[in-house]
Formats: sequence, C-alpha cells, structure tokens
Amino acid sequence: MYKVFAFLKRNSKLTHNEYRAAHVGYHCGTSRRLKGIRGYTVNVWANAPLGPQLGDLGPTIIRNEPSGFLDWWDGFPSVLFDSPAAWVQAREGEPTRAMEGGLKIDPDWTYGHGMYVFDGIPERPGEFRSHHLRMIEHIVMPVERPEYKLTKLVLFFKRRETLSEAVFERRVLKDYAAALASLPGLSGCLLNFRDPDPDAAFRGYFADNGWWNSAEGHSMRRQFCSQFDGAAELFFDSVDAFVSARRSAPLHALLCGLEAELFSANWYVEVDENIIVMPNRNPAPAFYYR
Amino acid sequence: MLKVFGFVRRNAALTHDEYRAAHVGYHNSYGRRLNNIRGYVLNVRANASIAATLGPLAGAVTRGEPPGFDDLWDGWGQLVFDSLDHYLSAKTPARDKPGPNGLEEDPRVAAVGGDGPWLYSGSPFQFMVVEHVAIPVRRPERKIFKLVQFAKRRGDLPEELFRSYVCGRYAVQLQRLAGLRGLIINFRTGTDVMHRFFEPGAEAFTADGKAVRDRFYGTWDAITEFWFDHPQQFVAARGAAAGLEVLETELFAAVYYREVDETVAVNPNRAPAPAFFFR
Repeated sequence: MYKVFAFLKRNSKLTHNEYRAAHVGYHCGTSRRLKGIRGYTVNVWANAPLGPQLGDLGPTIIRNEPSGFLDWWDGFPSVLFDSPAAWVQAREGEPTRAMEGGLKIDPDWTYGHGMYVFDGIPERPGEFRSHHLRMIEHIVMPVERPEYKLTKLVLFFKRRETLSEAVFERRVLKDYAAALASLPGLSGCLLNFRDPDPDAAFRGYFADNGWWNSAEGHSMRRQFCSQFDGAAELFFDSVDAFVSARRSAPLHALLCGLEAELFSANWYVEVDENIIVMPNRNPAPAFYYR
Repeated sequence: MLKVFGFVRRNAALTHDEYRAAHVGYHNSYGRRLNNIRGYVLNVRANASIAATLGPLAGAVTRGEPPGFDDLWDGWGQLVFDSLDHYLSAKTPARDKPGPNGLEEDPRVAAVGGDGPWLYSGSPFQFMVVEHVAIPVRRPERKIFKLVQFAKRRGDLPEELFRSYVCGRYAVQLQRLAGLRGLIINFRTGTDVMHRFFEPGAEAFTADGKAVRDRFYGTWDAITEFWFDHPQQFVAARGAAAGLEVLETELFAAVYYREVDETVAVNPNRAPAPAFFFR
C-alpha cells in the first residue's frame, strides 16, 4: 500500500491539547472523507515524557536522540492508499452527503481550516508547513487493536553511515525486525523506511507552487529528514509492558547489539493513536467503506 | 458504560449504497465528534443476502424470521458513553474547530451535521442495551466478517432467566466456535434514551412513529455480535457445533441472522477516558 506520514506542528494559537481536539476532531471530520483512503490514524505525542517511565532502561535503548525533535511536530497522521495515483487524487470530491435531492458532494468540504490547526504561513494564505513523507512499510507483526487504548511507541532510527542503504535495510528487516517481533506482549509492529526521495508524497498532491516546493520548504524538510531514516510502530498494553518485555534477557542484549551495529541514533516517542479510519489492507469493497 | 443502538431506515431518495456513503461519510464525520463519545460503530446491512453468504446453513439456523424485517432498517449505529448524562449532553456544540483566534465551538455537532431529514426515513429506533462481552473483540487491519444474530425470547421464559441462560450456557457454547474473534451479546432495555436526545416534535414521538418502532421491537429481544475473518469460518464452526440448536429451541421463539459491514468511526475505548480529546 502507499503510506504517508505527515509530521505537523500545531498552530501557535493552540496548546498541544487544543491541537489534539482541532486535528482529531474537526480536521479529521474532513480528512476521513478523502477519496480512496484505506486507513488513517493520527498520532499525537503523549503529554507525559517517556524518559521517566523507562527508568534505568532508558539510557540503554536511547542513543543520540536529536535535541528538540518534538519541537518539529505535535502529531503525525499515518494514511494508507492503494497506490500513488490514489493518494494524488484523494482530494477530489465525491458524494458523501445526503441533501435535498439525494446524495451530493458536500459543498462545505474544505481544507481551508488547515492553516489554523497547523503551522500556518501568513504570507501564503491557506497553506501550512508540513513534512509529508512517503514511508515504505514492512509488516513485522500485524496489528490487532482491542477495545481499549493501546500504548503506541514509535522507534525512530538513523542508519549508520558506514552501512549502505541496501545492507542497512536488509539487516534491519532480517535481524532487527525479527528480534523486535519476539518482544513479549507485542500487539503489533510496523517497520517503515523513509522514502529516500523526500518530495515523493508532496509531488502531485500539493500544487507545484506550494510551500513544500519553496526554498524554505526544501531546506526545512532536508533538516527534518536528516534526523531519521525510518520508524517502527510498536503496540503494547502499557509502557510498563514494553519496559518489562524490553528488559528480558537475552533479547535485550541482542537488540542493543544490533542497534549499536545498525543505527547511529535510535530513540522512542510515545504517541496517543487516534483511529480515524481503521486500516483495511484487504481489497477495497465495491461500495463506500471506511 | 452506556451503550445505545440506533436503527435507521434510509431516506427514500437514496439507494442502499448511497445511504452507506452518506451515513459513513458525512454523518459519521459529525457523529464521531459528539462530546464525550467513547465508541461509535456503524453497521450497514450487507448487500448480499444471508442465504447467499451462509449457503444452506442459513436455512438450518433460521427460525421464525419476521417477514419484511429488512424493510425496517438499513443500518444501525452503536454509541458508547460513560453515562446517561454524557449521552444526553453529547449533542451540544463541540469545541474542536480551529479558527483564526484559536479553538472555537462548532454548533453543527449539536445537530450531528443536520442531515437527518435527507439521510433517514423517520426517526431512528434508539434504545439502550446491556451487553455481555463473552469474547472481547480485537480488530485486525482488514475488513472482517461481522455476523449479527437477532433472537426473540420464548414467551414462556421469564426475561431474567432468558438473559441468564443466554449469557451462561448459550454463550459458553458460542465461545467455542472456532475462529471467533469477538462475541458480544446485547439485550434491549426499556430505559428511555429518546426523549431529551431527539427534538420533541420528532417523528419518533408520533403515534405512527411509536407503532413502527414497537413493531420492530416485537421482532427480537437480543442482538449478538459475532466477528470472524470470513463467513466460511462460521459455516464450518456452526456446522460442527452439536447441541446449539437444542438450546436455541429452548431459549428462542425466533432466531435469524444478518451480515453487516462495520465501520469503526470511534474505536470503543473501554478503559478510563484520557484527560484530553481522544477518538
């Protein structure tokens, strides 16, 4: 499937919790109706810092976390489409509203509010800064969601420069992912490599004269992307469950060894995952379905 | 938790598939923003008949299905709140709309989008259920097969015994069906969840509205939700489950099934609510 992470910083008029409401509430009321969307979660960094919850495990599993990483974003949606073409066409209107005379395209459907939720750009009315990144996904363990809030940890990692991209991806998938999948209590694990083309998700989706294609857009995206090459999504019942699982020997030693060998940096962010459209990886039904 | 079902009939101007798009699309986009909502699932009746989906088993497990049952509904929403107070106050403006000066209230949430007159025919049949979670559902990242059983209590079986037996002996046997991903049994209650939720002039409160609702309520007493990966699992498991038919004869005056397409507009969160906006 075609997967995009969109790292978004909140508008300066909103607190982090107000941003949650605006993004998960109002905004997603619009964006969950993107044409052809097959899955959609919004991941907002947790209010409580993760470090104290990890205790003495923290320094052993976190290496070279870039300072101020969370200043770049407050949340990131993860969206799934069938293809790049479906992603590019997602904002085409389709009839989803019952009105006088039957089913119509909703005349009120608009993205005009985006500049008030996200980091709006005064000199570019209607636009906001974002880092939409195409992610190449590998399902290490299929996610199953119970009817309660799971703890979701995102492991960001950066390739050690001495490894070629091909060797790095092969080793991460073959060795590291296999070890991750054996963590007890795991409810799912998705491993994502960032597309080496940082513009892949912008091209065709946003207008060519948009902020993403400006000097500032390219520069900021280069800086942001320089911090990580991939991210793994890990689902547990609680942080304690993760700590307990990650501590278990000899798995802990194996993972630490692989991290030192493969990554020049690796760190975790706890996010609150809001499910906007439950991902459906089966072929799409022949009717409107979310 | 408070769990409320709202069965709806589509507006005559919409086909069943158009109704899907309107309910799942626009309407759910507002419903999921209701204040303090903790879970919101929409079930739309599948396009294929249950006989086509289950094959010969459908006839073998069906008894006393009321004629014209499908004319009474196209889908139903399942709402979960922490309390009756939260449910009754849910349809108020939501402070989740971003504006030039920060967060604003959106009055459209109070009307759940305001599309009811063009989406439905008449008022929803809205009622509270008490549920028995026999197997907590875990949803994978793919569309799964949701089967719903409608069962009417035998007239000679007191209500309390009916509920006790269904949640006891019967549920234990159902739990053994191979491939089951989730099993929840719901009993309709008489708690009034319509006044103070719908406008006083709503069709629900007219004599005709009450009559059609009562006709619908007369067709079943319990709704059981089953989740499988695919229909063949139910067919195989149910075919191999000796003894269920005997128990069903003892408990039910009528029993029949429908497949529904489930939309998870808000994944039910049965844990305590976080101290921030969460869906």
